[in-house]
Amino acid sequence: MQTNTPLNKKSDSINNAFASKFAKSMFLTVSAIVVLSFIATRMFTHVDLNLYGYMVGTIVFIGGFFYRFIAWGERPPTKIFIKKGLKLLKRKSTPKTAVNHLAIYDFIKNRGLYRWIQHILIGWGCVLACLVTFPLVFGWMYFTMDDMGQYTIVLMGMDLMTVKADGIIAWFSYNALNISAVMVISGVCMALYRRLKNMQARAEQKFIYDFLPLYLLIFISVTGLLLTVQNVWLHGWMQPQMSLIHQFSVIVTLIYLPFGKLAHIPFRPVSVFARNYREHYAEQEEKKCKVCGDHFVSVEQSNDVIQVLGVNAIEFNMEDGFNLAELCLPCRRKYRISRFSGFATHQVKVKEANQNAKG
Amino acid sequence: MKKRLYLELENCIGCRSCLAACTQCGGHEERNRNYVYDVNPLVNRQTMPLMCLHCVNPACARSCPAQAIQIHETGAVLSALVEKCIGCQNCTIACPYGIPKFDTEQNLMYKCDLCIDRTKDGIPPMCASVCPSNTLQWLTDEEIEAKQKQFNLDNGKWVTSMPYLEGETNVRVNLPGILQGVTKLF
Repeated sequence: MQTNTPLNKKSDSINNAFASKFAKSMFLTVSAIVVLSFIATRMFTHVDLNLYGYMVGTIVFIGGFFYRFIAWGERPPTKIFIKKGLKLLKRKSTPKTAVNHLAIYDFIKNRGLYRWIQHILIGWGCVLACLVTFPLVFGWMYFTMDDMGQYTIVLMGMDLMTVKADGIIAWFSYNALNISAVMVISGVCMALYRRLKNMQARAEQKFIYDFLPLYLLIFISVTGLLLTVQNVWLHGWMQPQMSLIHQFSVIVTLIYLPFGKLAHIPFRPVSVFARNYREHYAEQEEKKCKVCGDHFVSVEQSNDVIQVLGVNAIEFNMEDGFNLAELCLPCRRKYRISRFSGFATHQVKVKEANQNAKG
Repeated sequence: MKKRLYLELENCIGCRSCLAACTQCGGHEERNRNYVYDVNPLVNRQTMPLMCLHCVNPACARSCPAQAIQIHETGAVLSALVEKCIGCQNCTIACPYGIPKFDTEQNLMYKCDLCIDRTKDGIPPMCASVCPSNTLQWLTDEEIEAKQKQFNLDNGKWVTSMPYLEGETNVRVNLPGILQGVTKLF
């Protein structure tokens, strides 16, 4: 009896239930959020409906995010890095690289201490704000007061701890968003100052690409801080209106996020993939330059680049019997000179003359 | 009037002014992005500059997984966007001319952007503004056509871009003297 033929295998796949990758990702994500909220809010009995605008905004954001991310991930070079990067995630160096690239941004420090400080302030301010906001919006975290003066922090439907309402932990919980707002405002001010003063930055920046995200971040942070000001010093004067303005600022930024400069936030983890990819395949086998014999890249990457260019109908196979991606960079440049001059510059065994002018 | 970078390669006297000028361009952070090569270093002093030729279909941008290399409306292939570049170095492997440079410390690729802050407003790029030997020129298409007439050879060996390059480029390259058999004074 042959019931399970390979033919059936494909049609049984869960993917066939969905019209597209986008539909599948959307359905699974929204379902996961609903299930998590159902559990966390004890069957929807503790939903903070004051925050429902953020909930809708987040769902729209997720739609935009998947649209952008899937379109991006379908590009041939991106697809290679994501596919091979996922396989290499188990490398020993992954945690170190990830912390380096995604948490402490060492490479930005090498671009300048000032830029590193501003990025740490903005980046970690935003992360902190997201860690507080989204659990509150979806009810994954909330506070109850069973005894007078004692808050119970409920995380995923479980009582995490009971704290004094005027204690230090409670103080940090109430003020987490204020702290993150101050961080983001300081960081954005540093960034704006740099963009106004630094001639290098001024040469290239554009309002819509470089300034708009900064203004959006400052819009969110200032309106958020004003909410606290109104509550503490103005007896809540105009607080409902400001809360709507704040909600508007957050939702607009969320919807914009996958499409502008801020898109580097969700895309950045691929840099960890790229580092793993380079390290792993360099250990496997290194490519020898077809002219000078120096190792310059992994065989895997050389082949991948040739293949990706092939998909784009670009081929650099030379009459001399090699692909240009098989030459090390100095040899490739010398080879071009030889094409111009007719003299085989790349065959002369002389190191390239100094190519670095001192600025 | 749209102008292009136009190279008459064998005019080059190897002074490396273009390298020095490149370091001074806005956004280049005092590092040059172009090259000058000796053609036959052990025999004579002929040099030639090599810079990004700004391909119409740039291999670097095609191979970039992060969409960090953008193409400006003027046709210039820009340097990697600092926040997008993931440091995979695909572009350095893909470029048929070996142009992109990579900074390991900053995990960032940088390449000639044709001094986009200047050329977008019609100002010549730094290298062309300083070149003392007219190797690098900033010309309109009409002027380049006039050059073609000036250097018209019976053998059809007028060279701008093809067939000595791998694809159509926005920068025009020419070798008038060598093809005409004219000895240059430089």
